[in-house]
Amino acid sequence: MTTPQLEISGLIKRFGGLTALNSVDLSIGQGELVGLIGPNGSGKTTLLNIVSGYYPADGGTIRHSGTSVLGKAPHQLARQGIGRSFQITKLFKRLTVLENMLVAGLSDGTTSRAAATERAMGLLADLRLERLAHERAASLSGGQGKLLEFARVMMLEPEIILLDEPFGGVHPELKRFMHERIAAWNAAGVTIILISHDMGSIFELCARVVTLSYGDIICDGTPDETRNDPAVLDAYLGEQHG
Amino acid sequence: MTPQRARTLALGVLLAGFAVLPLLLGDYWIYTLTIGFYYAILAASWALLVGYVGRISFAQAAMAGLGGYASALGVQHLGLPPVLGLGLAVLVSGALGLAIGWLTLRLHGAYLGLTTIAFAEILRITATAEYGLTEGSRGLQVAPLLTGGSRTEYYYLLLGVTAGCLVLMGLLLRSRLGLFFQSIREDEDGAASLGVNVTLWKMVAFAISSAFAGLAGGLYGHFVQLITPSMMSLQEMGIVLAMAVIGGFHNVLFAALGGVALQVLLEALRELGEWRLVAFGLVTLLVLRLMPNGIFGAAVATIAARMRRNGGDE
Repeated sequence: MTTPQLEISGLIKRFGGLTALNSVDLSIGQGELVGLIGPNGSGKTTLLNIVSGYYPADGGTIRHSGTSVLGKAPHQLARQGIGRSFQITKLFKRLTVLENMLVAGLSDGTTSRAAATERAMGLLADLRLERLAHERAASLSGGQGKLLEFARVMMLEPEIILLDEPFGGVHPELKRFMHERIAAWNAAGVTIILISHDMGSIFELCARVVTLSYGDIICDGTPDETRNDPAVLDAYLGEQHG
Repeated sequence: MTPQRARTLALGVLLAGFAVLPLLLGDYWIYTLTIGFYYAILAASWALLVGYVGRISFAQAAMAGLGGYASALGVQHLGLPPVLGLGLAVLVSGALGLAIGWLTLRLHGAYLGLTTIAFAEILRITATAEYGLTEGSRGLQVAPLLTGGSRTEYYYLLLGVTAGCLVLMGLLLRSRLGLFFQSIREDEDGAASLGVNVTLWKMVAFAISSAFAGLAGGLYGHFVQLITPSMMSLQEMGIVLAMAVIGGFHNVLFAALGGVALQVLLEALRELGEWRLVAFGLVTLLVLRLMPNGIFGAAVATIAARMRRNGGDE
């Protein structure tokens, strides 16, 4: 049996008296594209923040390719191959688009600037941002900012990408392009966990959908199974389609 | 002319200008400018921390004072030659900067600022109270760096060290470290998500900035040959802050030029007494409001825009 790329067991997170994650178990294999859905406050972003090292867990374990990641700092996990985006983009606005990319490309301390620049320009071209390389990130539109955050994450050459609401406020045409890129990276072997309230995107992109509600996984199945699951309809989709 | 060439030419003219000034000025103004170079390094070191890393500190003048005392006492009690005393100043101030950086890792904004004020006051009061070692408010006699050195010799020495410090800071800020510093200033969580060790580089930034301040303080002591705890005071820190802000604290060269320019103005307006400081305070407020990149930043931006326009017209 192969080791899962990401194995979460009995994960617990509490904020004061509120249990945000209630002994969550989740196993994700290499190359999966998993949708993570649930109502606001269900624990989706908390889960991402723990996996990427931003929050400590109150219990449980997380293993990346068999190695424990709990207790590691975000920068260590980023270098270990766990990349992430944020619900509200965290661009370096006074730096140029290229410099934003180079921060990720040079953070390992060994890659040369020339090699990092070449890779950055390739990724920017892939995301249609090449002509903006020398513009300040502050001048980008919201959608372009989301693309730049994608590109920065890819500079890390990650094994796993955690995407938190990447389609929020994005034009449908750009959303279509983002779908293509996510699918292409996944086809190239990158494991992706996608949080979104955009059910169209989730059901189109993800072969597996995990639903959280009040810190518990209430469904883990295909899009069809999720759509028709009474617990999911009751906790989340019902309110979307009601 | 390319922007790169224009920049190189401007720096060459600036350095040549400072190099010929002693031929045109009397001893008093040569002395004033030499003190201006001390402030230039100090203001640039503050700009490196605040403008590039986004970490506020009000302990920069205290770090300079610490460097001054470390070098003076190293020479006096350990028998070090003044040059090695300066090395000790860099090490002591850098090490304390690293410690402050570590202690204030999780602090931001007002909390960080208040904590650095507390550190600065602890240093100043210690220097005042530890009379046996520092001779308190009376001041500590410091060995000269150049035995029998003239004011002109000191001028060129401090000009050279200031230029060297600015080149070093420039190289540092153009390296990957400079990029990491700026990413931390922009968004710490975003920087960490891209593999930047935010904790380490914030501490290193404090250490580097403090080490430069310590060097400046050491040089000042060996030049003036007397140091007192007042060089660590908050009023002195306010002057350094005004110099960096008015010059432009998002660029170490502009901050340094602000240091020299304000020192010259402080002397030229000596007849105004304490009102000079009131005026500088008002100018600092106006610059912060109207020219966030400082007077030199605004001037360079205007010239660059004009050059682009003229280039476009051709």
